[in-house]
Amino acid sequence: MKNILTISDYTFREALSRKIFLTFFVVSTFTLIIFGLIFATVGISELVPVVSMNGINTLDNVNAELVKFFKMLIVVPLFGGGLFLSIFSVSSFIPNMLEKGSIDLILSKPISRSQIIWGKFIGGTAMVFVNVAYLVIGIWFLIGIKFGIWNIDILATIITITFAFMVLYSLIILVGILTRSSVLAMMLTYIIFFIFSPLLASRENIYMLFNNKFVEYLLDSLYYFLPKTSEIGKITSELALGIGISEYQPLITSFLFLILNLSLSIIIFSKKDY
Amino acid sequence: MKAIEVENLTKIYKSRSRRNDIMALSNLSLSVQKGQIFGLLGPNGAGKTTFIKILLGITHPTLGTGSMLGETIKNYKNKSRVGYLPENHKYPHYLNAEQILKYFARLGGYKSNDLTGRIDHLLKIVNMEKWKKVKIKKYSKGMMQRLGLALSMVNEPEIIFLDEPTDGVDPIGRKEIRDILLNLKSEGKTIFVNSHLLSEVELISDKVAILNKGKLIREGSVEELTTTKQVYQIEIEETPKNTELFNNTNYSLIESNGNKYTFKFDSSESLNTLIDEIRAKKLNLLSVIPKKHSLEEMFINLINDNEKQNL
Repeated sequence: MKNILTISDYTFREALSRKIFLTFFVVSTFTLIIFGLIFATVGISELVPVVSMNGINTLDNVNAELVKFFKMLIVVPLFGGGLFLSIFSVSSFIPNMLEKGSIDLILSKPISRSQIIWGKFIGGTAMVFVNVAYLVIGIWFLIGIKFGIWNIDILATIITITFAFMVLYSLIILVGILTRSSVLAMMLTYIIFFIFSPLLASRENIYMLFNNKFVEYLLDSLYYFLPKTSEIGKITSELALGIGISEYQPLITSFLFLILNLSLSIIIFSKKDY
Repeated sequence: MKAIEVENLTKIYKSRSRRNDIMALSNLSLSVQKGQIFGLLGPNGAGKTTFIKILLGITHPTLGTGSMLGETIKNYKNKSRVGYLPENHKYPHYLNAEQILKYFARLGGYKSNDLTGRIDHLLKIVNMEKWKKVKIKKYSKGMMQRLGLALSMVNEPEIIFLDEPTDGVDPIGRKEIRDILLNLKSEGKTIFVNSHLLSEVELISDKVAILNKGKLIREGSVEELTTTKQVYQIEIEETPKNTELFNNTNYSLIESNGNKYTFKFDSSESLNTLIDEIRAKKLNLLSVIPKKHSLEEMFINLINDNEKQNL
């Protein structure tokens, strides 16, 4: 465990040394300042036009709608933009470690190869968790002060956003070990995150286009195998709105994908010569 | 007691087509005694680095077994007793010397409470104490090598593997590194050196092994390897009046230079016969010195002979 924590600690420092995480932190701080200024200077009555008022006639309802609006304003871009930046930043962790002269030093230490993978995984995840938590807790705090609503639903999104990152990061680790290419790891992850996952989430529309059993079977297989970041994004929004998790299948199958990737990474890494 | 022992170690780097498989090590058996400085020599691609990598678990052997300090090389925990300076080492560029030493000391399972004191001591040994807080991206090649040497010692290891330790280091730095290694030896550490700089190895090694194309072709002390068998240089005070002294079926004159004569003998008795002859003729014998090659000369001859045999 001590070895895993040491590798995690230095992976965290490696992440800190990257300007991209600093940028993430600065953007988060800037966002919180903007929200703080808006909340401090603009009255609730002046904010009302930003939400639909159909059927809303009490102050509590207005507040609740505004809170939902501001939560969405943070959570949706955070899921897409935050994950985009995080993937970009961690994609070189494994290829850098595997460089000649670097991997030799680590492997010459009394640490197992599985501990190295776990250390890298935990360190990268911790970095994203801290960044996401900083922004989400910050916005929760500002909303609480402004509207007096201290609903903790939004805090659950820290977990789901970090979980989505963990699933994608496991793929980055596997591709990194197989190819030692950060570009390939990053590209493949972006393709799954931005193209495959949204497409497969709405695969029923594609069935109608082809009307072919084989295509249906193929898309279903891909859907259940690949991580479901689109659905996790939807779950994140629902959690922020206090709806709760309507379907666990995307979380379970994505978790299995994560386990498969990490297991394969450990097995392949353990067998490789450096 | 043996610090390192390997038996029939074989490493084949497989490629997709069998014809392109590379035999990096072939049935290598070798042992290193505790407290020795052991030099592993060989031309590029001889398998020297592969050998170290197998011992350290960086590369897996195809066949054969090995042990370090009595434990199988498969036991990764045993590596807490080992230090390593790889060739072309790379450290996290965002750290300074102190942070790097701390990182690898922690990974190496260093247990003392006074890690800071240990780091200061090591940086002083390698003349890097002024650079303790400077990010390593500002270091020169020689400084990186010094840091690497400090790193290989950070866990107070019993065995230290050094792959080209003087690479990129100036002559003064090389002398300092030699002194550090000799000091470590005096503390009872075992040092295993891979180097192209044969003169360096010659100066410090107790024992040397020579690899070529993955095979061990010679092993022994520097003295044994550099001494030419039964060839002696004999110095006499005055030139003999006649040359009949040099005519004998049991030895032959190879070369002469002033009063120095180099003979090849067929046995040690022949050497004594010649000495008796010189004394019988009332000539003043000044010295009898076994003829030696430098390690470099011996290495080149040996590799050339081995290449010819393989043709």
